[in-house]
Amino acid sequence: MDMNKSFEPKILAFLCNWCAYAGADLAGVSRLQYPSTIRSIRVMCSGRVDPVYIIDGLRSGFDSVFVSG
Amino acid sequence: MELVQYLLDLSGIGRDRVQLRWVSAAEGQLFAKYVTEVSNITQEMGPFDPEEFSLPLAAVEQTLNSPRIRWLLGLTKQLTEQVNVYNEKLKDEDFKRLLQQATEEEYHKALIMAALEEGPRSVRQMAEKTGLSVYTVSLRLNELERCNRAGLKEYSGSTPIFVEMA
Amino acid sequence: MESIEGDAGNFQVTVRERPRYVDMDKCIACGICAERCPRKVKDEYNQGLAKRKAIYVQYAQAVPLKYVIDADHCIYFKKKGRCKACEKYCPSDAIDFTQKEKIHKIEVGSVILSTGFKSFDPRGYDVYGYGSLPNVITSMEFERILSASGPFQGHLQRPSDNEPPRKIAWLQCVGSRDLHTGCHEYCSGVCCMYAIKEAVIAREHAGGDLDTAIFFMDMRTHGKEFDRYYDRARDEAGVRFIRSRVHSIERAGPGSDDLQITYVDDGGELKEEIFNLVVLSTGLEISEEVRKLAQDLGIDLDLHGFAETSCFTPVVTSRPGVFVCGAFAGPKDIPQSVMEASAASSACAVLLADSRNSLTQEKTYPPEDPIIYEEPRIGVFVCHCGINIAGVVDVPAVRDYAETLPNVVYVADNLFSCSQDTQGLIRDAVKENRLNRVVVAACTPRTHEPLFQETIRDGGLNPYLFEFANIRDQDAWVHQKEPEKATEKAKDLVRMSVVKAALLEPIEPLLLGNRHKALVIGGGAAGMIAALDLADQGFKTFIVEQKEKLGGYAKYVRKTWKGEDGRAFLADLKERVRGHERIEVLLDTKISHVSGFVGNFTTTVTTGSAEQELEHGVIILAVGAKSLKPDEYLYGQSDLVMRWHELEKLFEKEPERLEQAEAVAFIQCVGSREPERPYCSKFCCTSSLQQAIDFKTRKPGLDVYVLYRDIRTYGQREELYRKARELGVIFIRYSLNEKPVVEETRINGKDKLKITVKDHILGIPLELQVDYLDLATAIIARGDEELAKMLKVPLNEDGFFLEAHMKLRPVDFATDGIFVCGMAHYPKPLEESIVQAKAAAARAASVLIKESVEVEPTVSVIDQEKCIGCGLCEACCPFGAIELIKVSGQGYRAENIQALCKGCGICAAACPQKAIDMKHFRDHQILAMIEAGGEGR
Repeated sequence: MDMNKSFEPKILAFLCNWCAYAGADLAGVSRLQYPSTIRSIRVMCSGRVDPVYIIDGLRSGFDSVFVSG
Repeated sequence: MELVQYLLDLSGIGRDRVQLRWVSAAEGQLFAKYVTEVSNITQEMGPFDPEEFSLPLAAVEQTLNSPRIRWLLGLTKQLTEQVNVYNEKLKDEDFKRLLQQATEEEYHKALIMAALEEGPRSVRQMAEKTGLSVYTVSLRLNELERCNRAGLKEYSGSTPIFVEMA
Repeated sequence: MESIEGDAGNFQVTVRERPRYVDMDKCIACGICAERCPRKVKDEYNQGLAKRKAIYVQYAQAVPLKYVIDADHCIYFKKKGRCKACEKYCPSDAIDFTQKEKIHKIEVGSVILSTGFKSFDPRGYDVYGYGSLPNVITSMEFERILSASGPFQGHLQRPSDNEPPRKIAWLQCVGSRDLHTGCHEYCSGVCCMYAIKEAVIAREHAGGDLDTAIFFMDMRTHGKEFDRYYDRARDEAGVRFIRSRVHSIERAGPGSDDLQITYVDDGGELKEEIFNLVVLSTGLEISEEVRKLAQDLGIDLDLHGFAETSCFTPVVTSRPGVFVCGAFAGPKDIPQSVMEASAASSACAVLLADSRNSLTQEKTYPPEDPIIYEEPRIGVFVCHCGINIAGVVDVPAVRDYAETLPNVVYVADNLFSCSQDTQGLIRDAVKENRLNRVVVAACTPRTHEPLFQETIRDGGLNPYLFEFANIRDQDAWVHQKEPEKATEKAKDLVRMSVVKAALLEPIEPLLLGNRHKALVIGGGAAGMIAALDLADQGFKTFIVEQKEKLGGYAKYVRKTWKGEDGRAFLADLKERVRGHERIEVLLDTKISHVSGFVGNFTTTVTTGSAEQELEHGVIILAVGAKSLKPDEYLYGQSDLVMRWHELEKLFEKEPERLEQAEAVAFIQCVGSREPERPYCSKFCCTSSLQQAIDFKTRKPGLDVYVLYRDIRTYGQREELYRKARELGVIFIRYSLNEKPVVEETRINGKDKLKITVKDHILGIPLELQVDYLDLATAIIARGDEELAKMLKVPLNEDGFFLEAHMKLRPVDFATDGIFVCGMAHYPKPLEESIVQAKAAAARAASVLIKESVEVEPTVSVIDQEKCIGCGLCEACCPFGAIELIKVSGQGYRAENIQALCKGCGICAAACPQKAIDMKHFRDHQILAMIEAGGEGR
C-alpha cells in the first residue's frame, strides 16, 4: 500500500435502520452521488454498536469506521 | 464513543479513525455529504495498517472489554445524575477525568499483557515493546501481579523476568 | 365507478375498468417499452414541465409499478395498426393491444369515497398572468421543480431560461378566500404551510443565497408545531412575510423575464418589487368529475362541491352506508386526511361488525423443513432491477463472484427479483437445491425484506434465514459514474451478507395472548365516541373519567360552527354510552398504575379509596385539555372581562345584559402564539366569530370588535369571517409587541372597559369603550407528565401527547397498543376530536380483532448464567422492556419483556458482563460481517 493519491479508503459503516440507513436509501432515491468507500452493516439502532466492533473493523482491514444513527 | 476516540488517541491510532454523525431518515443529502466528508478525512489520514498497530489494537480491545471500563461506562448516568450512598454527586468533568484515568491505566495494563502474551519479559523489555516508561510498567505490573494476571517467572542474573499467568 | 345500487350493508357496485393494454401479470416494469416508444407527451405528473412517453408509469413510486398505454396519444391507436415498438421490444411479452374495457360488479357492505381534490387552475385569471408570463408558476409546479425526481432533478431553476432564480415570491390565497367568479370563498387550509415549506426548502437547495418572500393576508399555521415552523422560517431561515393585497404582476420591463409585483402593504401604501420567479399558492377544489359522480351516487354536496357532512358525524354522507374522507369532505392537510381515513374505516367496521371475518382467507405455509438445521446451503439472487442496478453494476460478475463464496450452492440473476414470477423461481430454487439460507442482492431491505421473507416461507424456510445486500439504493444509484467501483462494492456487500447468512438461525414467531377489551382514559366527547365505536364492534370498553361526570370540554359547545346543537348531541352521546351493554363507565376514578404491553395491559384504578384492576388489550388516551386563566387584560379583576364561552353563557342566562350593552370586544391569542406558548390554539378564532355573529344578529345595533393577530378561520369556516364582516363586526389587528391595553372606566354612571389598541392601517391608537370583553385564551395541556410516564409515551414541549409520526401516524404512539385522540393531542374543534376519536378506535380495533398479538421476534436474549443482576440494562432500555426479577438464592436477574422490546440492542452494548445478545443481530454475526467486509485488501 502506498501513500500516493490513488489510495482509495475503505470505510466500515454502521447505520441505524430507522435513521441513517433510511437516510442512505433516500440519498439513493434522490440519486445523490457520493464516494464508493463505505461498506455498511445495518443495525436496529446505533446503540447496538459495541465499541469493540470499531476496533475489529480497523483490525479487519478498514481504514476508518463511520457510525451513523 | 468519546471513550473510544480517547483510546484511539492514547494508542497512537488517532481519534479520527472513527467518525460519528447523526442523520435522520429524511436527510439523504446530509448522508451523502457525511460520507464524502468521512472519505476525505480518511483519505487525508492515509491507509491504516493493522499489522503496524497490532499491539495497540489488542490492548484497546482488551481495555474496552475490561469489566472496570464497562462498569464505569454503564454507570455514567447513575454517577453523574444521581447521588451515591455518601450523598455525593460527580460533576461531569470530574467523571470524565476519572474515566480517562481509569482508561489509561487499563490500557497500559492491557499493553503489558499483550506484550507478555508473546513470551516472558523483563520490565525493561516490556517498556521497550510497549513504549511505556519503566516506571509506568512497574506500577501497572504490580497491579497485575496483585490480581494474579502476571507473575515472576525467574531471574536472569539479577533481572526479574515476568510471565503471563493463566 | 358507474353506480351503487342497494342499501347500507348490501350494495352492488358497478365499476368500469379501462384497458391499460399491458398485462399486469407479465409486466416487470423494466422500462424498455418507454425507452423505445417514439411518442412524447406532456407529463401531467410533472405539471407539464417535462415529457413522458405514450407508454409510461405515472410516477416512480406508483403501486403497482406497471406500465400503461395512453391510448389518446399512442401511435398504434391513432394510426390504426402502426408502430407497436413497445410490443416488439417488451422482454416479457406483456403488451396486449386487444384488451377491452371491463365492467365489474362488486358486492360490498359499505363504500368510502376518498376522491381527493384538484388544484385550482389560475389560467384565465389575468391579474396573475399565469399562462402568459413563463415565470409565474403554480405551487404544484414548484413542488415538482424542487423534487429530485422532477424535471430539473431537484435543481432550482426557472422555466423561461433555466437560470437559478435569486428572488422568489409566493402569493397566497390564489383561488381561495376570493369572491371573484371562478374562485372560492373558502380557505384552502393548507397553502400557508406548504408555501413556508417550499420557501425554506428552496433556500436549502439554493444554499442560502436566495431571497424568499411570501405575500399573504392572514398567516394560517394553526396545526400542531406549525407556528414553530413559521417562527423558524422567519427568524432563522430569513423568509420574508409581507402582509398585503397583491394588485398585479407584470413583466419587469420589455424583454425581461423578471416580474414586478405591485401590492398594497400593511399600512395601505402602494409598493413595487421585482422577482425572478413567482409561485402562486393555488387552493384546493372539487373537480367537475367528482361532482358528477356524487350526483350519480346520490350524495349531497355543499355549495362548494364538498361532501355534505355534520360536525357530529364527520365521515357520514347523506347516503347511509357511504362514507367520505380526505379533501372531498372539505379542504384539509395530510394528518387530518389520515385521521379521517381511519375514522371512515371505523364507521364501516361498526356498520359491518356482524359480518367481520366472514370473507377472510388465512394464508397457509408449508411446514418448516428440518434442513434448516443442517450445514449452510446458501442461494444468492442478484437483481438487475431493470436497468436500475444493471445499468451501473456488472450483475453477472457479482453473480459469478457469489458462486465462489463458501457455503454458496446456488446463484442466479433476475431482471426483477420482486416480480411474481421471480418469486416463484426463488421458491422453486429453494426446494430443488435444498437451500437453507437465502441472500438477495437488490434494492433495500426497508421496502422489500418482508416480501422475500414471505417467499422463502413459501419455500419451507424460516423467514429469518434471509439476508439482504443493498446494491441499489446504497450502491448503483449513488455511484452511477463509477461502475467498476460500484461492482466491487456490490461484491463486498454480497460477501458480507453471505457470511452473515451462514450464521443465521431460525427464529420462532412470538405469539402472545390478547385481551379483547379496551380502556379509554377520559370521558369527554372524544373518549365517548372512541368507546362507542369499539363497543359497537363488540369489544368490552372501560371509560375512566377523573371528574364526577361525563362530557369534558364539549359541554361548553353551545353550537358547532355549522350551527348544530352541541348540547343535544352531548346529551344523546352520554345516553348512548350509559345505555351500552359493553361500556363500563368509572367516574371519579384515577389511574394509579399501568403495566403490561399490547394485548395484555393491567391497569390499577382508584375510585375514592377503592382500588381495582382492569385487564385490557389497548389504551386510548382522551384526557383532553383545558383553557388558560390569564393574568392580563384585567381577567379575574373585573367582572366585565370573561373568557371563551362565559360571555355567551351570561347573555343566555340574562338576555337583558345583551339588550343593555352597547359594545363588546373579543381579544384573540391570549396566551397563545407567545414565546412561552408558541402554538396556535386552533379553534378560538372560529369560536369568537360564532359568538360575534350571534350577538350581532340578535342585536344589530351592538358594536362588536374582534382584536386579532391573524384570523384563522381555516377551511370552510372562512364563511364565518365573511359573514361577520358583512354584519359589521369590526376587526382590528394588533401585534404581539403592541398588545391592547384594557382599563376600567365609568361612562354615564355605568361600569365599562376602555381598550386602547393601535390601528395598523392608520398607525394611531384607537380607544374603544365596551361593556364586556371576552378573551380567547390558550388551550393548554392538563399536565399529564405522570400519566405519560406510567404509559411510557412522550409529551411534546407544550405538554401535549406526541404521536408516533406527525403526518402519517397521527393517533399512534411508538409503543404498540396505545393511541391518542382529542385535545390531549392538540387543541382542536369538536368535529376534529370526533374524527380523531373514531380514528383511534379504528387503530385500536385493528389490535383487538386479532386472535393473538404477534410481535417482532428479533429481540434481546439474556444469558441468565452470565447475568449478575446489576440492572444497567434496565436503566438504559428506552422502551422499558427489561425488568429485574428476583431469583431465589441468586438475587436479581434481568428479564426481557419481549412484547415491549424493539430490538435496538442498547442493552447488549451496555451489559458489562456481555450477557445480552440480539436475535438476528448477534455479536458473532456482526463480527463475522466486519471481518468479511475488511477482506480483500
